[in-house]
Amino acid sequence: MTRFVLRRILAAIPIGLIVTLGVFALVFAMPGDPLRELAGDKPIPAAVLAAKRAQFHLDDPFIVQYLLSMKDMFTGHFGTTFAGADIASQLRLRIPVTLKLATLSLALQWIAGLLFGLYAGFRRNGVVDRMLLLSTLVVLAVPGLVLYFAGQFLFGVQLKWLPVSGITEGYPLAYLLPATCIAITGFAGMARLTRTSIVDTANADFVKTARAKGLGEQRILWRHVLPNALLPVVTLMGIDFAGIFAGAVLAESIFNLPGLGQFLFQSIRFHEGGVVVLLSTLAFVMFIAINLVVDIVYGFIDPRVRNV
Amino acid sequence: MTTGEVLLEVDDLTVEFDTPHGRVRAVDGVSWQVRAGETLAILGESGSGKSVSTQALTGILEMPPGRIVSGTAQYRGQDLIAMTTRERRKIVGDRITMVFQDSLSALNPVQSVGKQIAECYRVHRGLSKGDAMKRAAEMLDQVRIPAAAKRVNDYPHEFSGGMRQRVMLAMALALDPDVLIADEPTTALDVTVQAQILELIADLQAERDMGVVLITHDLGVVADVADNVVVMYAGHVVERAATSAALEHPVHPYTEGLLLSMPSAELKGQELPTIPGTPPSLRAIPSGCAFRTRCPIAVPECALEVPPLLTVAPGRDAACIRRTSISAKEAV
Repeated sequence: MTRFVLRRILAAIPIGLIVTLGVFALVFAMPGDPLRELAGDKPIPAAVLAAKRAQFHLDDPFIVQYLLSMKDMFTGHFGTTFAGADIASQLRLRIPVTLKLATLSLALQWIAGLLFGLYAGFRRNGVVDRMLLLSTLVVLAVPGLVLYFAGQFLFGVQLKWLPVSGITEGYPLAYLLPATCIAITGFAGMARLTRTSIVDTANADFVKTARAKGLGEQRILWRHVLPNALLPVVTLMGIDFAGIFAGAVLAESIFNLPGLGQFLFQSIRFHEGGVVVLLSTLAFVMFIAINLVVDIVYGFIDPRVRNV
Repeated sequence: MTTGEVLLEVDDLTVEFDTPHGRVRAVDGVSWQVRAGETLAILGESGSGKSVSTQALTGILEMPPGRIVSGTAQYRGQDLIAMTTRERRKIVGDRITMVFQDSLSALNPVQSVGKQIAECYRVHRGLSKGDAMKRAAEMLDQVRIPAAAKRVNDYPHEFSGGMRQRVMLAMALALDPDVLIADEPTTALDVTVQAQILELIADLQAERDMGVVLITHDLGVVADVADNVVVMYAGHVVERAATSAALEHPVHPYTEGLLLSMPSAELKGQELPTIPGTPPSLRAIPSGCAFRTRCPIAVPECALEVPPLLTVAPGRDAACIRRTSISAKEAV
């Protein structure tokens, strides 16, 4: 087990290098001068501009800029944004916001996905099953962006049930609408996978064997159907969990939640390569860590992929 | 040999399926019985209804779409089909057990084999976890799995095909059943392993005086181990006889065709005779005798009605209007 974890962490290092280099290159390649854009139409004295350029190493070659950002990151000197905000304190303020949003949306998505998926799987072709298939098809066909704006307009602007944007209303009220929007997009795939997996497993030969053993339906369900049917669902949960940052970028920007996703979005707009790489690395490390945890958990629930 | 008590007696069993294309009769008026110590082979090709009939009477057939239209299946005088699921669970899984073809998919992949065998003792005998696992290990030893005490905690994918089928057998025989229904137990195995498994079944059967219903499409297997054979075609029983009698003097033209198409040393170098045509789709079974479209001795009358299963000689039944007695066959 220790060997397995170590191997995975070692394998993550070259991938991390490629990811950070790629992300930095993409920001570097963006057209326009970041500092001039920051200033807008106002003229900037040449001396100020030069000082700023030197502070952020903007005139150094690409690879030097990249290495300097990496050095700052690993030594914990995150520095400031172009606009002068302290990045470390920004992270301290923003991480809880994203965590709250992520946990709430994942909880909604997993609970609803599992409940509906399980119910529909066991009552296949019933009313709930048909409704689920139809509604998830609609959700899957609607892009997340449209869903977020539609949700904001309907429940925030028109019905006034929930805050339109911002976090002044606090947790959980301010987070409910964006979290629900994220949850709905993820819920569709989750419910469908759970349903299909239950249906497949219920028809498996080993369930027939269990029946031939004279076992009761409850025992067959808990000991034979569910432990097998939920294997792919656990995988999807891991992928969802790891990918929650991607959903946060969109939702936090639209609903104006001051979390990491919004920070990333703003940093990309202002060409702040260092911040983008920092946040990408954070997302990357989280992604690797969650996948590692999922793989370890998976080994416990499925002996066929047990890692030694 | 076949003088033991009748353990399981199936009478006039008919099973239908509701499909999007209409109703399909997979098993039609099937009757057979198995006695203690007897091995009864149910012989037929895919789709002949041999598995469906046993799955219907043990209650493991998906219903719907399946439906038992008529028939009884008496275990020591109690009708399995008429009884409630709860009552049936006390018999199926305890007194009547089953082994399936593909042991990899028939075993739960995420549970250790020991746990799966122990489950029988836990549920039917109320044994504690520890005792049940101990018995499971003993059972693995009885089916001759080497180092059984160690392997009891292994998972199905860690066994070879032959060993896995032994695990299936250990599970089926754990509670010392009266009747073992083996549904193509050796089809997925290679020939040497197949022989070992059949031998193992025969040995365990002799020890326990158990009735065995062996479902197979393999005439060689029938010849090796079965006392009696029931030949099925398109849901009907077409011939019922002692194995030796059926192999030496097949009465029904289908049985005859099957025997002729067996490879043998005498036929070496010659083209193997086959039964012309293919088995009928269950949605379009020919009228009258289902076999008539492929039958070398069919006459127009064969299309009129389903031939009844008639006794052609003591202990021998066949469903063919051209051959209503052994002598009639010689005359053709």
